Amino acid sequence: MEASASPGGHGGQPRSRLAALGLRLAYDHRVVVPDLSVEIPDGGFTIIVGPNACGKSTLLKALSRTLKPEAGTVLLEGAPIDTYRSKAVARQLAMLPQSPIAPESITVRDLVARGRYPHQGLLRQWTSADEVAVTGALESTASTELADRYVAELSGGQRQRVWIAMVLAQQADLLLLDEPTTFLDIAHQYEVLELCSRLHAEGRTLVAVLHDLNQAARYATNLVVMKAGRIVAEGDPREVLTAELVEDVFGLPCVIIPDPEAGTPLVVAKVPA
Amino acid sequence: MSVTALRAGDWLSLPVRPRSVIIACALAVGIIVVAVLSLTLGRLGIALGDLAPAILGQSTGPDAIVFEVLRGPRLTVGIAAGAAFGASGALFQTVTRNPLGSPDVIGLTSGAAAGAAAFGLLWTGILPLPAGALVGALAAMALVWLGTGRGFSSPARMLLVGIGVSAMALAFVQYVITRVGLQQATVLASFLSGSLASRTWGDAVIIWVSVAVLLPCALLTSRRLQLMEMGDEQADALGARSGATRGWVVLIAIGLATAGVSVAGPVAFIALTAPQIARRLTRSAGPNLVLSALMGAWLLALADLLTQQSPFAVQLPVGVLTAVIGGIYLGYLLVAQWKKGTV
Repeated sequence: MEASASPGGHGGQPRSRLAALGLRLAYDHRVVVPDLSVEIPDGGFTIIVGPNACGKSTLLKALSRTLKPEAGTVLLEGAPIDTYRSKAVARQLAMLPQSPIAPESITVRDLVARGRYPHQGLLRQWTSADEVAVTGALESTASTELADRYVAELSGGQRQRVWIAMVLAQQADLLLLDEPTTFLDIAHQYEVLELCSRLHAEGRTLVAVLHDLNQAARYATNLVVMKAGRIVAEGDPREVLTAELVEDVFGLPCVIIPDPEAGTPLVVAKVPA
Repeated sequence: MSVTALRAGDWLSLPVRPRSVIIACALAVGIIVVAVLSLTLGRLGIALGDLAPAILGQSTGPDAIVFEVLRGPRLTVGIAAGAAFGASGALFQTVTRNPLGSPDVIGLTSGAAAGAAAFGLLWTGILPLPAGALVGALAAMALVWLGTGRGFSSPARMLLVGIGVSAMALAFVQYVITRVGLQQATVLASFLSGSLASRTWGDAVIIWVSVAVLLPCALLTSRRLQLMEMGDEQADALGARSGATRGWVVLIAIGLATAGVSVAGPVAFIALTAPQIARRLTRSAGPNLVLSALMGAWLLALADLLTQQSPFAVQLPVGVLTAVIGGIYLGYLLVAQWKKGTV
């Protein structure tokens, strides 16, 4: 249950399309992640969990190149991510930040269409491929009938679906989602997670930051547990998620029982004595 | 309804919004109407039939003087300066994601005024007045940049620091007024409220060239700028490099606003209102650069027409009129944003 010292097991080149080596991440020199290496399994649904301020979102930002590491490298297809052109990265890797801002008076279709930017040129700003991608993204998120509505009018759940549609229109194989269920009620949380799960089943590689351990255990194929800027455990949630780990990482005494629906680990807090 | 696109072969494919195209045409017609009225109305107005020869330089006598000296330069400067203010406002408001992030509010116009005052009257002979305005505007923006502690990435800080810088710049202008003679002070006062009276063809060349160079540059950044509406992080994730884009956009916006100030003085609030009205008319997101420029041109030309011809505003500097109208709008915006909690 220790974090593997180097991705790829024995210090060789990582085999995954997306990996990080020796990352040191900081905001204005306040170090959040001192030294972290991780490999994102291809075709997997990786979920990152951990207490507040443990560096989950920071790691996601570094993986998507929106935060420049102070040291270490992120490898995309085996090459340092900063050797690619920005649009080339965006064609392979899409990221949905925690709280993206919906522009004033934008329709759903226009918002989703903005995900096409990395595929467009100065003179070729709207081709039939763009049309197809946007229509497809709206369909896979069940948002087709919302297309001509204004984003500001939508409910929280609808809005999150539309944002995911925008990321899908990017047609990248790697999807990074930062807390996609935050601010949603429980039904909409599961709706978004089911959508993610379906996208994963269709062959995409997903990485998401989540707060809810039980949801993470149910949907992840690879669980990454972080504490204070380090990975303390990673792997199949059924093997990784133990009562000792939860108590160590979150300071919460608990028991783990099998989820009666999915059979995955279910964390139940102990009543304080 | 899907996206309409203008296509030519394999190499060109641009999205087109019918609604925006219609509004752009309407504004263009509006500008022409205001232009014709500006040249023909009033005691010295050129008769409609004599207009074409006057514009083509074929007429002699009073019409030639009215067009060549009195009204022609004033009108052409007004149109281009309005366009510069409108486009500058659209760029600033998009990059700060706040309608209040306009050159009027964040100290750029006041800084340009201070620079113009300093080099036009106090330290004469070092720099020409438009260059003085440029220096003033850049100095004010540098102060705002430094004052916020994080550049232009935080609109709220930018507004607060900008208001402070603006107050300092206006205090400096007051200082200059006390140092120069009464006659010069009167000229300065008129310039500082923003006026299009007694412009020359030289002014017109300056502003038209500035707009012709800077507006296409702005259009080249507009697609990346549009992604920045969704936040820096999302823009970066889409490959739009928010840091570099913000830098370029701010430079272009400073250039446009400064060019406007240097020929028309710090005309208030065109930059603030034109993009907002354009957005409400098109009901679409994005910087709406061309429409904001057309709207700015129409607003300023219309305001100047009113100051020339309407009985209650006769010969006021046009900036006084735009300040009254724009001030009311600014108040409305502040209240609306206060309610939304986004000030």
